[in-house]
Amino acid sequence: MASTLRALLEWPHLRRGLLIGLCVVLYVAPLAVGTEYRLFIATQMGVYILVAIGLNLLNGYGGQVSLGHGALVAIGAYAAALTMVDLHWSFWPAALLAMVMAAGVGLLMALPAFRLSTWYFALITLGFAEVIAGLLTEWRALTHGFAGVVGIPAPKAFGYAFTARDLYWFVLTLVVLTLVGMANLLNSRFGRALVAVRDNPVAATASGVSLVRIKIFAFVLSAAVAGLAGALFAVQKTVITPEDFPADFSVFFLLVIVLGGSGRLAGPVVGALVFFLVPELLTALQSWRLLIYGGALLLLMLYAPHGLVGAAEGLWKKLRARLGLPNIPPTPVAADAPIRAIDGAQLSVRDVSKRFGGVAALASVDLDVAPGVTHAIVGPNGSGKTTLLNMISGYYRVDQGAIAVEGRRTENLAPHAIARAGVGRTFQTPRLLPHLSVLENVLLGAFTAEKHSWLSAALALPAARREQQASLAEALRYLEFVGLRERAMELAGELPHGQQRLAEIARALVGRPKLLMLDEPAAGLSLAELDRLGELIAAIRGIGATVVIVEHHLELVADICSRVTALERGAVLASGAPQDVFSDQAVVSAYMGAHVRIGEKGA
Amino acid sequence: MSAPLLDVQAVDAGYGHVGVLRGVSLQVEKGAIVALVGANGAGKSTLLKTISGVLRPTAGRIVFDGAEISGLAPHRIVDAGLMHVAEGRRLFRSQSVRDNLELGLYGGRLDAAAEARRYEFVYELFPMLRERPDHRAGVLSGGQQQMLAIAQALMREPRLLMLDEPSLGLAPVIVDQVIGAIERLRAEGVTILLVEQMVDRALDIADRAYVFQNGVVIGHGAPADIRGGDLIRRAYLGAAG
Amino acid sequence: MDPDLIVNGVVAGSLYALVAMGFNILYRPTNVFNFAQGDLVMLGAMICASAMALWSLPWFVGAALALAAVGLLGLIEERIAVAPVLRRSASGHAWVITTLSFSMIIANLVGRIWGPDPIAVRPPPPLTTETFELFGANVSSYQIALVAATIALAAGVESFYRTRAGKAVMAVAEDREAALLRGIAPESLSRWSFLFGGAIAALAGVLAAPLLYASIGLGPSLLLKGFATAAVGGIGSNRGALIAGYVIGLVEALAAVVLSPGYQMAATFAVMLIVLLIRPHGLFGHPEARSV
Repeated sequence: MASTLRALLEWPHLRRGLLIGLCVVLYVAPLAVGTEYRLFIATQMGVYILVAIGLNLLNGYGGQVSLGHGALVAIGAYAAALTMVDLHWSFWPAALLAMVMAAGVGLLMALPAFRLSTWYFALITLGFAEVIAGLLTEWRALTHGFAGVVGIPAPKAFGYAFTARDLYWFVLTLVVLTLVGMANLLNSRFGRALVAVRDNPVAATASGVSLVRIKIFAFVLSAAVAGLAGALFAVQKTVITPEDFPADFSVFFLLVIVLGGSGRLAGPVVGALVFFLVPELLTALQSWRLLIYGGALLLLMLYAPHGLVGAAEGLWKKLRARLGLPNIPPTPVAADAPIRAIDGAQLSVRDVSKRFGGVAALASVDLDVAPGVTHAIVGPNGSGKTTLLNMISGYYRVDQGAIAVEGRRTENLAPHAIARAGVGRTFQTPRLLPHLSVLENVLLGAFTAEKHSWLSAALALPAARREQQASLAEALRYLEFVGLRERAMELAGELPHGQQRLAEIARALVGRPKLLMLDEPAAGLSLAELDRLGELIAAIRGIGATVVIVEHHLELVADICSRVTALERGAVLASGAPQDVFSDQAVVSAYMGAHVRIGEKGA
Repeated sequence: MSAPLLDVQAVDAGYGHVGVLRGVSLQVEKGAIVALVGANGAGKSTLLKTISGVLRPTAGRIVFDGAEISGLAPHRIVDAGLMHVAEGRRLFRSQSVRDNLELGLYGGRLDAAAEARRYEFVYELFPMLRERPDHRAGVLSGGQQQMLAIAQALMREPRLLMLDEPSLGLAPVIVDQVIGAIERLRAEGVTILLVEQMVDRALDIADRAYVFQNGVVIGHGAPADIRGGDLIRRAYLGAAG
Repeated sequence: MDPDLIVNGVVAGSLYALVAMGFNILYRPTNVFNFAQGDLVMLGAMICASAMALWSLPWFVGAALALAAVGLLGLIEERIAVAPVLRRSASGHAWVITTLSFSMIIANLVGRIWGPDPIAVRPPPPLTTETFELFGANVSSYQIALVAATIALAAGVESFYRTRAGKAVMAVAEDREAALLRGIAPESLSRWSFLFGGAIAALAGVLAAPLLYASIGLGPSLLLKGFATAAVGGIGSNRGALIAGYVIGLVEALAAVVLSPGYQMAATFAVMLIVLLIRPHGLFGHPEARSV
């Protein structure tokens, strides 16, 4: 028994096989058991699943709570219905208009969210839903008020009008295509960027992801899917009135994905299925609906934040563990290729100053780093080293002075734009995405190196796949380079501290930075890891990148850096070759407390 | 010899999955200044956070004045008489100097006269604070902020004061003032656990010191012994042996 | 402008400011924006109305009952819907969904118990809702009292923030970990603020009832208008809430006359969006802390 089960679980195509089987059943079912009522319910469920898939992108991956998706469906439904009935448009342009209108309103809702905390968005969308609900009844000239829109025709293709069964197949096909596209998208640079923006915006910008653009992308795509679902909703029902879009319609979709599993691809499908499996119960308890929704949401958030799919995944992992099967997926294979050389960039910092309140963090600092040079910044804690890095990479505004990378001024650019200009960096505390694998974290670094559009990612076009394969090969090679290839598929949050640092360096390297800035890479490393770090930085220098390293570990600095700048209280104390700087009496007394002499070991 | 005021026994601690401290043991005697030294990332600040209850130890015990405090909420540990001045002078920057001092009294049970004496005590220690009661903490200079942070922690008459990098980013003359204040506090009977990167300055005033490397204590003893040995070099340069 | 319009705007604005102050009280130590606040307001109105109508209790007793009961409910909400998710992640946003679900539960239960019909509430004597003419506008003594009470409450809440406990709340809002190290327990402040925030919500409901009737419909609309007020004024600022309340009340009154009552919500939201796009942190708010 156990051995058959194990054989089945080990079958590499298990998941795909099950899914294809399920699809076949769903396509064939209406021929066998397709009563009109069942078709109606099944089509409606498909429409709802579509909305939920779009919402899942925004909520599950983007981390934004929308309480207005019901209103976006309403907009799509009315846009399609009114153009088809009043203007005699055919379904296809009407559906396109529905998507465009919903996307436009979605964007409008999202505008304030770009600069404000997540929960503003929840309330703003709730308000929008209320406003839209008001307009549906108030703006009678357009919406026909309570009477609604009657006689919405079925979609036609080449003169042939869809029957109820055709519509079911059509919706089913759209659901399947949307799911596949969503899976492709989430597995691409866009999916990783979305999760990075949710979990660690600083890591996202350091990899060249523009927070605003990726959020716009998620809002607009999610809203467009809701608009499309609205158009389908209209043609399926043939009559729509404001009462089709009650106040709790939006909450219903949120509940569907929380129930199924927010942030899980199958979550919306499972959530909708479970919802429709208990329709009898719900009609009997119609008047308790809000209480049931509310109670279910509360319990799920408290006890099963990843919903049914999340709970099933947990059980699945336990089952595999009990059967002695590994829970870490195999590392994907990629073609091998040598690490390509990088043209190091020149960095020039001129007269840069920064104040925080009453504290001068940097006072008129100059720093010049020639291309391909490894340059250390040393100095006591609080002397302004990290502040300087944060100014170069754009996280702090420059009060005064100029910063240029390869002669191009960068001091007024946003962090993601500076990353795109070829400046990579790591942080004092590694900023990884703990719930993604080490490999996915490293792939995030390739965000700007890949150029394909979201659409070609969703459709898995050959050009996009080629780029993705190239990034994968590159990422695996850099993981090898930092000695983490064995752990590529483990969750980043479970790596020990030292290895998280190395993974972060690999992430920065995948972006092929012309200038790499490392903030205290040696802090907290074991002796073995320290040796590895030294070799690693030497190897990075070998590739050709310019390296700026903030480091306390002076022996490491003396070994690997050809230039050193010492800061004290925000000002440059000395700059030059390591042995000169470290024998400078001012540096020794400021930094070392006059006790530990560096350079003894020959530097 | 009497029991130490603070007794850290074989403590492990860290953040989430990531362990930082391994089997750290350390004692602070009443009335002493004990210094913790070691490279960045060695776990000194993590130890202070674990003692003050911000982090929970995953193994080991922490005993303060005979009572176990490991696992208590931070405010209970403050009530027990232990104050922690965090790295980077974590003041309430938008509030005034006087309000920051008043917040140092929060939760204490002193009467009005005793509170007035505490204000007088910190004003004596740092006369600068008396001159600027209405300045917002955020506009003070680094040295003034450090003095305010120490003063704030002194308002509730702590028996043990933990200072994390009080010299951070300060001019030498200001560091002298801060070090001077620490010595005066010892004279007043306040026990001090000091994390300081300026090793020489710390060893100058410490009665004993512990040397940290990679989350473990690699040695401890009197300042003269620490200076004489190879421990510091190992801790800062990481060279084996 | 029609003087009556100004009266209506200022009176409605005072109610919105009251709701917004409830939000602010909860928000300061917890960074949680309570989605059930509208329903707490509604429940306050219902309890007071029932106490007066069914048991013929005097207004003050009904109001006290409402404040106590809703304050307690706020505390229960903190215990079951907020503290558990904040313990899991202090910076997460799971509370958006848990407080929303709490709101749905209250709304449904109140609907089951009281039914959909609005209950009329008389103001406490000697105040009345009979209008008289003052400077060309029709006002009632109750309206004047309401506006005055709101201003007094705003002043009272602001003066609380000048006490030691109030400063501790501000300290937690500014730097939670530093507050921990100073012996301030954020959990206990969070409980107290839900208790008080609930009571203030009930007070808003009690004060609104004589003008708007006590009905289940109060919840969602006051949630949104209270939010718009708090956001325009700047989350956390009670002075901002008062001024933003007047602005939004006037915009609404104007929209009802110029467009139609059905467009009030749209007008409110348009004003809010414009303010947020120009000043994301509202008229009197402060930007959030840096992340690096």
